[in-house]
Amino acid sequence: MSLKEMLPEYMTEFPEMGRADLRDLKKGIDQSFRTFTRENGEAIENFFYPLKMFMVWFEKLLLGTPWPLMIAVLCLLVWLGARSITMVIGTAIALLVIGYLGMWEDTMRTLALVSVSTFVCIAIGIPVGILMSKSDRIQAVIVPILDIMQTIPAFVYLIPVLMLLGIGKVPGLIAVCIYAIPPVVRLTNLGIRLVDKDVLEAADAFGASPRQKMMQVQLPLALPNLFAGVNQTIMMALAMVVVASLIGAHGLGSQVLKAVYNQYLTHGMMNGLAIVTIAIVFDRVSQKFGKRLQKHSEKIHG
Amino acid sequence: MKKLLLASAMMAASLTAGSAFAECGSIKMAEFNWASGELMANVDKIILEEGYGCEIELVVGGTSAIFTSMNEKGEPQIAGEQWVNALRDVLDPALEEGRIHAVNKGPITGLGEGWWIPPYTAEAHPDLKTALDIIEHPELFPDSEDPSKGAFVGCPAGWGCQAVNANLFKAFDMEAKGWKLIDPGSAAGLDGSIAKANERGENWFGYYWSPTAIIGKYNLQAVPFGVEFVGNEHWTNCIAKDDCTDPQKSAWIKSEVYTLVTDDFYKGNADINAYLAARVFPGEVMGAMLVYMADEQAAGEDAAIEFLTKYQDVWTKWVSPEAAEKIKSSL
Repeated sequence: MSLKEMLPEYMTEFPEMGRADLRDLKKGIDQSFRTFTRENGEAIENFFYPLKMFMVWFEKLLLGTPWPLMIAVLCLLVWLGARSITMVIGTAIALLVIGYLGMWEDTMRTLALVSVSTFVCIAIGIPVGILMSKSDRIQAVIVPILDIMQTIPAFVYLIPVLMLLGIGKVPGLIAVCIYAIPPVVRLTNLGIRLVDKDVLEAADAFGASPRQKMMQVQLPLALPNLFAGVNQTIMMALAMVVVASLIGAHGLGSQVLKAVYNQYLTHGMMNGLAIVTIAIVFDRVSQKFGKRLQKHSEKIHG
Repeated sequence: MKKLLLASAMMAASLTAGSAFAECGSIKMAEFNWASGELMANVDKIILEEGYGCEIELVVGGTSAIFTSMNEKGEPQIAGEQWVNALRDVLDPALEEGRIHAVNKGPITGLGEGWWIPPYTAEAHPDLKTALDIIEHPELFPDSEDPSKGAFVGCPAGWGCQAVNANLFKAFDMEAKGWKLIDPGSAAGLDGSIAKANERGENWFGYYWSPTAIIGKYNLQAVPFGVEFVGNEHWTNCIAKDDCTDPQKSAWIKSEVYTLVTDDFYKGNADINAYLAARVFPGEVMGAMLVYMADEQAAGEDAAIEFLTKYQDVWTKWVSPEAAEKIKSSL
């Protein structure tokens, strides 16, 4: 006689919700979301309208700029960030190869998507991180939300985003941001919390206001961590471009998808490697920039 | 040894005596891995088991896998909803040589691919009768990212239909008329754009296919193209290809679905062949069933029972009165 047979039924059969009730529950929630979409969809879309126009404008700008000028601008940014001539040459070569292999336009679209979403993540993420660092209670609320954002499968939140905003740039951007924003929030919070208590006491002794303390002491000292957060956010945004292209965000991601649907091995590899190239450039530059800031602050520190 | 033979003979005899239709026996039947395929397979299964005393084993698969197996191995014996456009090269010789028989050349009515608009758009603009009329009015379908252009939602990048939509877009000169070809990215993106437009009552113009839950749910209307089909040769060699330089205006190629059976099966099962030939799902009924399956998240078997219960006037015409009685009493 097995263990199952000896136990009463309520121990072996999970007391699950009735099938009909469960179905009604799901249908009820779906229906109320649909009603919500009907009533507020347009308002929400209007709320995102400036962002959409900005994205459209920015993409047109990147696509409209002559390619030599674009390469020059990108190399200049790399130089300002990394101050390394090898990095600049490497970037120039990588971009020339991308262009030569016919991926220039898609790369510009991806660049536009990743830049704008990084910008949005930083603009929202850093203030949220600061807020979190000031109160343990806020931190206790936000941390689980960040955990959910990082682990929930992207397809689950693509459904409501699609129903609210349809397909295109903004839904793609939101999908990217949901996944990519947690690191910058977490590391801003962590960086500020790690600032030496003695330094804060000293600032207090000199009569700094809370605002001065934040802007002139805590944030500068937290910069290395903050930059690590920004760097992570950029990397995660790049990792999401393929998923974002599932809901109509264009660029290298949609080319990768096309390759996956058709088993175009080389096409997939080339576009995938173009994403990697952008990632390496972004990563090295933001890391070097972060390190330089760190050196700087350590000098003051010591 | 003799005893064993005798015993097995007796067993076989008692088995055949037990079932009303001795010739039927056990059959393998394809269950295609999409909603309407699931439903049809399960309806056939219940009808053949309860009404004709067959024993049906369902084999799950996709279009080409099922066909290859039927053609090469003679199994499964029945494929209810075989989409044949993509199989022409292999199907035609198989039909000619008599390895495979098409017992029904239209098991679902009103099916096919093409361009669709929501019913309220059709109602509000009765003058938009064909695709030719619609493409003169891009302003009715503004693209959200560039409202000065009309949005035509095509097929996700990488699908076979992407080339067709892109080439027809070119053939109908839609870019010059102020249209933009939107790539929805994926099936979910395409469905989402239809759902969003319909939930909000916005005009929508784009590609889809039927029978599908989303067509049934929003009652999308197929748009006649207003031009003739250009012919198989130009369609296959140009419109369906990525590198077509000079696509001609054309209606969408007619999608054909057959019910196929293998030769062995065809020869010995006249009554079942007659059932399969009579079994035609009206498009609206199929659409309604697919909506039911999506809404209730019902699997094939539950949906088949729902269909047999709810649409008795449809399926009782497919079978003999005696079989109908048996099936009804089994529900």
